[in-house]
Amino acid sequence: MEVAEVSNFLAETTPFDQLDAGQLTSLASNISVYYCQNGETVQLSTERLMIVRTGIFALYSDQQTLLTKLEQGDFYGYQLLLTGLNDNDNLVCEEDGLVYWLAADAFHQLRYQYKNIDIFFQRLFSRRLHQYKDQQQNSRFTLKVSDIVQARKIAIGAAQSVQQAAALMTQKRVSSLLVEQDEKLIGIITDRDLRSRVLAAGLAADTPVQQVMTAKPHTIDKHAYLFEAVQLMSRHNVHHLPVLDKQQSYSMLTATDIIRSQQDHPVYLIGEIHRQMSVDGLEHCASQISSLAITMGKQQVPAHEAGHIITTITDALTQRLIALAQIELGPPPCVFSWLAFGSQGRMDQSLNADQDNALLLEKEPVAEIGVYFAALADFVCQGLARCGIILCPGNIMASNSALRLSLKGWSGQFAKWVSTPTPEALLKSSIFFDLRVIEGSRGLFNALQQDILAKTSDNPLFLYHLAQTTLQRSAPLSFLRNFILEHDGKQKKGLDLKKRGISLITDIVRVYALSAGISEINTRQRLVQLANAGVLDNKDTQNLSDAFDVLAQLRWDKHQHDLIQGHDVSNLLDPNVLSGLQRHQLKDSLTVINDAQSSLKQRFCRDL
Amino acid sequence: MLSWLANRTTPLSHIVQEFNQSAAPGGAVRAADCPFLVIDLELTGLNAKQDHIVSVGWVPVRQYEVVLNDARHYLVHSPVGVGQSAIYHGLHDKDFTGARDLTEVLTELLQAYAGYVFVAHHCQLDLRFLEVACQRIFGKAAKFSFIDTLNIELYRLHKQGIVMKQDALRLHHCLTRHKLPQSGQHHALADAYSCALLLLSQLKHSHPDITLADLQLQSR
Repeated sequence: MEVAEVSNFLAETTPFDQLDAGQLTSLASNISVYYCQNGETVQLSTERLMIVRTGIFALYSDQQTLLTKLEQGDFYGYQLLLTGLNDNDNLVCEEDGLVYWLAADAFHQLRYQYKNIDIFFQRLFSRRLHQYKDQQQNSRFTLKVSDIVQARKIAIGAAQSVQQAAALMTQKRVSSLLVEQDEKLIGIITDRDLRSRVLAAGLAADTPVQQVMTAKPHTIDKHAYLFEAVQLMSRHNVHHLPVLDKQQSYSMLTATDIIRSQQDHPVYLIGEIHRQMSVDGLEHCASQISSLAITMGKQQVPAHEAGHIITTITDALTQRLIALAQIELGPPPCVFSWLAFGSQGRMDQSLNADQDNALLLEKEPVAEIGVYFAALADFVCQGLARCGIILCPGNIMASNSALRLSLKGWSGQFAKWVSTPTPEALLKSSIFFDLRVIEGSRGLFNALQQDILAKTSDNPLFLYHLAQTTLQRSAPLSFLRNFILEHDGKQKKGLDLKKRGISLITDIVRVYALSAGISEINTRQRLVQLANAGVLDNKDTQNLSDAFDVLAQLRWDKHQHDLIQGHDVSNLLDPNVLSGLQRHQLKDSLTVINDAQSSLKQRFCRDL
Repeated sequence: MLSWLANRTTPLSHIVQEFNQSAAPGGAVRAADCPFLVIDLELTGLNAKQDHIVSVGWVPVRQYEVVLNDARHYLVHSPVGVGQSAIYHGLHDKDFTGARDLTEVLTELLQAYAGYVFVAHHCQLDLRFLEVACQRIFGKAAKFSFIDTLNIELYRLHKQGIVMKQDALRLHHCLTRHKLPQSGQHHALADAYSCALLLLSQLKHSHPDITLADLQLQSR
């Protein structure tokens, strides 16, 4: 007899979601349901699997450090069931909830019957071990040999001729070969060997490879760290290392591979960008951004640093495009500043950012000045688009003539937004308040920024409207602290980390920064200055900063995941893919946003 | 579970007699040590003398755990059509293929759950129908010991000084208040299960040593 509520829940819970209705019914019949109260320690008296139905549970190690938090759909007790060993950990209920207890027999039978379910719990178990070990370890130098070489074994038999070896190298476009005898690696031969040991020595084309190869070469295991390979190469002064996988030839690692793997280092890439003489060249450089992003991900570069690096690259591309435009169009007829707004301005650009830029000119854009900068802007914006930074859908770009203004023009524009703010106008214009100079005159830019800050600080009407605009969107958390998910155009369900998270914090912080006349525009920096200036207290700024980091990190991880999977980079995250702790942090961060919005309302939307 | 089949030779009234003889736990027993059977009936109407039981669902609670392995749901042959009551429980005459005789169902209930404290949400109705049915079928009145989650809830809310809106004591409103998952309503087993969850939450929010007598007092 089935209780529909229970089997429906199981049907939506990984890994049981692969069972059919009949199997779910029999699974449900092996369950007992228990109500757990806040503060209660969950008793694992007998061997059985706990499935969290509702509530929150905190798992502590035997040293009482928090390992993770369990929520709906999470499991506990599998370690004892799988290994027969107790971890002496401690599960404490933090929010009243229901747990399902699945009898041990039923659990084992399920694992026996369904390989996938068995694998699921084995993985869960090994991930848990992993959690214990390197929860806090931050290893930046963890690039492994297998990360940069592919399984590409190009080998030749020891008895074959040097001519055949040369032919194979030419055909496969490689500079070295593995030499094998009876499926065993016995040496390597390189194009340099062919030159110095064959041609220079005047040997015949049918000389066997065995005679000229380097026997017993140094080798490296596929799972070794890359720096170990570098060390081995420099110590023995070799440029080729056969890569082994379980003692079998797997591939060849060359010095060139290593250099190439370092080429997507940002410093290298930025240097390259400034050497390019054509938009084609820049486009090629920009095509390496995604592999750079993946490398940064592997090296566990934190999201805010990665955002900074990506912004720096966009800056470099912009600067180089401006230089190339000047080569084509001749020197500019007057002093100018190229401005960036939004995420590029704030230096927290992500991989799917669009362009937000404009021109600030020393003189009015009339006659030939107007014509020149129209051409320059068009060149740069189209160039950036070719480099993968898409054209702004809202047309906030220097190529739009409304955004090529003199200091007087811009000052007037900002005056209009500030003195007669309307919600619609502010919604569109709020990103203009996060501006930074990318190229050109800094003095011109400073004059504009001082002018803006003088207008915004101590201007309650403007701040009221800006705060109102900020409050129009809320964090996607329901009354009972569940996530509110939305659909994107492709009907994928998830939570928009940017629109419903990061941007909300950016918006809140902007209101405070403008109110206090703070010229900093990076969100984290703004928070630091707000705390220093005493505008916000330390706890609030710390909370906002932490929430911002959590959200930015989740988005960065999501982008990484999308890149590796070959998908379009998207901000929509399915909370179900997160670990218990991450889900908890996400909820906490969204709660911080809700609280900060209430304070903002209190502060700026009261007296009018 | 089909032990009643083996005992078919016993006179019917003995089934009730044995049930009545198994001592239900005394009032001093801690609720935590007490076995509960949460039961729900779907009916053709509200008059125990005229109307009929359409379906029965139950699930036991032992050591504060709802044991789904012993959950049961039976459709019951009704001497007359379900008629208008279908609008509540959603069961139509055509659904009753595979239904049981009430005799079979009650025999299993009485034999398997002697010594249990019965639980229902708004229990008077269920109790009256069960008593009438036992009298008719077995010729003898069964003595059920019942506690009522509705009255316990009423007691709790009174004690907290909460002003109740109309309908606040309906099962699904109680579930919302206790942040428990909602089930489909008017299905005997689904409702019995929901009621069992409500009982657990009520027990957990009471004194840990609450006795059966306390619960019976709150149930009045």
